[in-house]
Amino acid sequence: MKILVCFKAAPNVEMLLDEDWVVDKKLLIDTSFVRNDLSAHDESALEMALQLSDASRDLGMHVELNALTVDGPGATPILKTLSALRFATAVRIEPGADFLFQPTAVASIISQYIRLHAPPDVVLFGSQSDIGENAKTPLLTAEMLGWLCITRATRIVPTDEEHMTVTHQVDDGHARETVRVPCVISVGDAPCTYLRKPTLRDRLSYGKKPIAVLAEEDFQLPEETETLMDLEILRHERDAAIIAGESPAAKAKVLYEDYLKPLLSRP
Amino acid sequence: MKFKCILNGCAPNVKARAEELNSFIGTYLGNAALTGSTILFYANQEDRPALHDLVPTKSVELVRVGGYQPEIILDALKCTEDKEDTFLYLFPSGVVGAELAVRWAFRKNGSSLVHVEQMTLEKGGLMAVKKAYADHVRATFRLDRQPFCISLAKGSVERVPITGRENLQIIEHDLSGLNGDGFVRDTQWIPAEQARDLTGAKLLIVGGRGLETRENIRQLKEMAGAMGAEFGISRPVALNAWEPMHRLIGVSGTIARPEICIAAGISGAAAFYAGIEKSKLIIAINTDPQARIVKAADVAIIDDCMAVMDELTKIFMFDCTEQA
Ligand SMILES: Cc1cc2nc3c(=O)[nH]c(=O)nc-3n(C[C@H](O)[C@H](O)[C@H](O)COP(=O)(O)OP(=O)(O)OC[C@H]3O[C@@H](n4cnc5c(N)ncnc54)[C@H](O)[C@@H]3O)c2cc1C
Ligand SMILES: Nc1ncnc2c1ncn2[C@@H]1O[C@H](COP(=O)(O)O)[C@@H](O)[C@H]1O
Repeated sequence: MKILVCFKAAPNVEMLLDEDWVVDKKLLIDTSFVRNDLSAHDESALEMALQLSDASRDLGMHVELNALTVDGPGATPILKTLSALRFATAVRIEPGADFLFQPTAVASIISQYIRLHAPPDVVLFGSQSDIGENAKTPLLTAEMLGWLCITRATRIVPTDEEHMTVTHQVDDGHARETVRVPCVISVGDAPCTYLRKPTLRDRLSYGKKPIAVLAEEDFQLPEETETLMDLEILRHERDAAIIAGESPAAKAKVLYEDYLKPLLSRP
Repeated sequence: MKFKCILNGCAPNVKARAEELNSFIGTYLGNAALTGSTILFYANQEDRPALHDLVPTKSVELVRVGGYQPEIILDALKCTEDKEDTFLYLFPSGVVGAELAVRWAFRKNGSSLVHVEQMTLEKGGLMAVKKAYADHVRATFRLDRQPFCISLAKGSVERVPITGRENLQIIEHDLSGLNGDGFVRDTQWIPAEQARDLTGAKLLIVGGRGLETRENIRQLKEMAGAMGAEFGISRPVALNAWEPMHRLIGVSGTIARPEICIAAGISGAAAFYAGIEKSKLIIAINTDPQARIVKAADVAIIDDCMAVMDELTKIFMFDCTEQA
């Protein structure tokens, strides 16, 4: 079985200071000086692909893992890590513009890439990117490919060469379904899916493989149907009163007497 | 001009979503010269009588399906909406609403936006507001192509009860024969563990990655129990599977509105903070005075959270026995 995982690196914006949050004329926020991480849900998708591969091996089935991102060179370290984790291919498509808020363009590039190259059986996504938060790319890709789609998966177990059992979040609960491939699966909040680290030996043996880079010009772009008009920075300040004291017990006492007790004793 | 609400009556908590839509319509479409109706999907005949109370518009199409599956619902919508000139489809918050909005817009050659908090109608277009940049930013988008399909953000509006359903116009469809192309071989529904309603909790105690171990999280939960408080967790704690996902607080979990919230060992990332910002009093306990949560709280203690919480529980218990 062949699996393609689509991911997007994202600057860790929790590291920005208040004064760093500035919107420029092109409606961009400069985040270039903070570390690039994987989007939270994409990290889970990559780890779930690795777990799926492990579980398939135990059943005597072979799984080939591939990774794809439409992103600038900033994504290269992540692609190298994925090579070291034995992804068969790690491909980057260089975007001509910033596609943060253009999920239709990204989905279109991904679906064209899938059609052009040997199509995978399963395409895995995160359910939303950290910065764009569009929550649309996997759904649009499924529609463009005409494939079926399962959203917000929390667990994927191989069944046979043509089926897998997917547990996924739905309103007010989960559903566990046996689905047939090919399909698109987006990953939700899945426990135990922090991305594993490659061994030093695998880094040296596999992590040095060159990353394939394709140009966006090789793909046709559709018209976007939504346009970003404005960004407004949200600031949450409540001016906390700091409780001082000599010990945790002293501070807890002030907290209880001055704040908790009066509120808790109200009917 | 016509707008339509799409509701998945197969989910147990559809009432809350219907009341959200009711509130959203009242706020953003109340005065416009629009006619609205609802398409309500349901699977069980026993649920049928109670469905009227879930309709936030003056008319409804009740559509019986085999069960919730997006492929089935999209096929069913194709049947009911084929000849309709609806310009706006409103989907509720939650997983299903967001999924259907995007896919339905694609199939209707329209435009979509999910997790929408506010909207305004403009000539020929629709402006809608949602969060971006890991919830640090409010982004406004213009949707250009009709039909506009939007799904609501969780907790963006206060729910408004639905009343006066006596003269509801009803059309019925039975599409229980649709099978979604046999993509799914078998389905097992796993209801959420009875998640407590944190909306009105008096005291909510939330533990984060600063607690460092499963054992500390367990102890904090016990302390919360002793104090009669509700207990929640941040995403890293849930990802470590130290507590089940339904205790997650934040945009991906519960948007709580407690009177008092104690955030212990939590940095206060925007995506988490959205889940507690409606608290009347926010108390942060953190070893780092620079942590974002310290600024965003009303009261803060800079110290080890387990030590403080341990003392706080003792004081609370002592006071309770004194009073008794
Ligand atoms: C799209 C998206 C959705 C998300 N949704 C959610 C969500 O719904 N809920 C959620 O929680 N997160 C969500 N996140 C993740 C969020 O951005 C943060 O990564 C997460 O909230 C951090 O959790 P934390 O505060 O527990 O951990 P950290 O950020 O690691 O903070 C730990 C804190 O503990 C403090 N600390 C350490 N030791 C101690 C000690 N002994 N005593 C006291 N304090 C101590 C540290 O100073 C630090 O401030 C989402 C992210 C994205 C991108
Ligand atoms: N530029 C990109 N390249 C590859 N995959 C992407 C890209 N942007 C988004 N994705 C994938 O689509 C998911 C949803 O993104 P979004 O629709 O932007 O919220 C992400 O979690 C990724 O898996």
